Amino acid sequence: MKITKLLILAGLVLLLGIGTAGAADTIKIGLMAPLTGFAAADGASVLNSVKLAVERVNSQGGLLGKKVELIAYDDRANGKEAVAVARKLIQQDRVVGVVAGSYSTPSRASAPIFEDEQIPFVAAYAVHPDITKAGNYCFRNGFLGMVEGKSAGFVAVQMLKAKRIALLTSDNDFGRTLAEGFKAYIQDYAKGAKIVYAQTYPFKEKDFKPYLSKIKEINPDLIFASGYYFQTGPILKQAREMGIKTQILGEEGADSPKTMEIAGKAAEGFVIVTNLNRDDPRPEVQTFLKEYESRYKIQPDMVGASAYDAFMIICDAIKRAGSTDGKAIRDAIAGTRNYRALTGEIKGFNDIGEVVKEVQVQIVKEGRFHNFGVVTDMNLITP
Amino acid sequence: MQLFIEQLLNGVAMGSIYALITLGLALVYGILRILHIAHAAIYTVGAYVGLFLFKLSGSLIIGVAGSMVFCALLGVGIERFVYYPLLKYPPYVPLIGSIAVMLAIEELCRLVAGPQILTFQAVLPFPQFQIGGITVSSTLTAVYCITALVLLLLWYITSKTELGLAMRAVSQDIPIADAMGINSHLIVSLTFAIGSAIAAVAGSLVGIYYNQVYPTMGTVPAYKTLALIVVGGLGSVPGAVVASLLLGVAETLLIGYANIPLPRDALAFIAMIAVLMWRSEGLLGSR
Repeated sequence: MKITKLLILAGLVLLLGIGTAGAADTIKIGLMAPLTGFAAADGASVLNSVKLAVERVNSQGGLLGKKVELIAYDDRANGKEAVAVARKLIQQDRVVGVVAGSYSTPSRASAPIFEDEQIPFVAAYAVHPDITKAGNYCFRNGFLGMVEGKSAGFVAVQMLKAKRIALLTSDNDFGRTLAEGFKAYIQDYAKGAKIVYAQTYPFKEKDFKPYLSKIKEINPDLIFASGYYFQTGPILKQAREMGIKTQILGEEGADSPKTMEIAGKAAEGFVIVTNLNRDDPRPEVQTFLKEYESRYKIQPDMVGASAYDAFMIICDAIKRAGSTDGKAIRDAIAGTRNYRALTGEIKGFNDIGEVVKEVQVQIVKEGRFHNFGVVTDMNLITP
Repeated sequence: MQLFIEQLLNGVAMGSIYALITLGLALVYGILRILHIAHAAIYTVGAYVGLFLFKLSGSLIIGVAGSMVFCALLGVGIERFVYYPLLKYPPYVPLIGSIAVMLAIEELCRLVAGPQILTFQAVLPFPQFQIGGITVSSTLTAVYCITALVLLLLWYITSKTELGLAMRAVSQDIPIADAMGINSHLIVSLTFAIGSAIAAVAGSLVGIYYNQVYPTMGTVPAYKTLALIVVGGLGSVPGAVVASLLLGVAETLLIGYANIPLPRDALAFIAMIAVLMWRSEGLLGSR
């Protein structure tokens, strides 16, 4: 009796397997994003943006005559979770390409798995160098931490004319890499500028007053805060409350409407280096920004736009390759030239899989990010 | 010198916040001898309910008062339905129950309010001071005043009223207190209500202070307050307050002057280990 039951069960499972494998009338593209956990606001932004991208592709007739289907999973910005999700995307869903719309830790953990299966993998905004080093199938549409850190150094010294600089760094991969890039720029390019205070703070820090009191006494020209919106937002708020008027410079981790929500008026005049220019005059960018805000009732941000681009880069490659074969898509992505993405024109990808494009500089005015400038120096932006 | 005074002010504010969260825990330990981990979850709920009522009514007073009532009821509920039935078992059983309640409430907050950080945009109507070159911002003033008020009220209740007398009697010996005609179960419930109402004030205050309310905001306080009541002397309310203030100041000064690689949270546990090794009754506890 037991054996018959088992046999029936096994048969059912097999049937189900055939069922999904047979239903290949769509092209499946995977998405990993932190939909829950501390990074959930970024996860929501990623998913919302990629959904818009899917609609756009499908309304224009899909790819190779088929509809595109998005398979999105939650990796909770956690490495272990990301590995499980990666296996699910490969074995159960048989996706042809993957957008890593998540942080460095989970993206780093899952990149080698997709590399082994020869499935093209495009990291949207994670900054860690190891992601693209996993192999030929791994690309990045966001900036490498060093590139962004150096660009921040350029903005501090050249655009904001700072001579004495304080660093407040979030103690994780992201914050530390950015601070390294920043220091490298000061050392190599800015002889007149000096770092007068450098301090890392624990990831879960909420009370920045002890650091800020110290900074207040040193009275630098500029504070470079490398961290996420839930860190830089409170830094802005607490600094202004304490009467510190020093210019504060951030980066893409603070590129979120949540920064302004947390800091309120204290965010005015805050400058960031990032991946998305809100004042980009190109119609595709303005359409995206308007459509996003009208649909989701919140301002779009850099993580969402980067994930949208990562998804579109894969779609564009499938179209040019005329195939869903992993190697063909990979070669097409590697051959991307002068692609008009939301986050600026992508000049191409280098041998490691790093994007080459200009770094955007934004400033907060009346609670919104606006254009402040662009870093175009090829010495700085070439990874 | 100016920097030192500013750091001291920051430290006292941090310590005041620790004290507000720790008070309830010390009260509960004093009367029932259980480690009430779920107290930190009540603090989280306090922030959420305060924020919700504040958004609904537009009044911070209604928000905080409503949150105090809600949390008092929640605290009494936990006491009646979780701790009371478990009191006959060894103390680790209510402790495990408490951890379960803590996790359940945290997850519930996530499911109801969502995982993202909410902002608590209320203005605390307190003045800002400028003495010499030192600025005491209005949020710092608010933290000092509210903590002082809560401590004063608590001191009055515990040492000047009959309720306070009954609380002390129950904490010394429940059967004897019962024999003297005190309804000790009612007193225990009232203690939970008071402790939880203070947690609601702490939650709302911290939510406004950092402008952030999120489901896991109670995680760090959950274990840090534990260290604090050990350092202060288990069950001693004044001890808990002194330990909180000392820790707040010590953390802030250490961050301000020595660039230690340790996260600040480690300090509380170093203090706890030191106390356990050399003065196991705590700063103000009695053997």
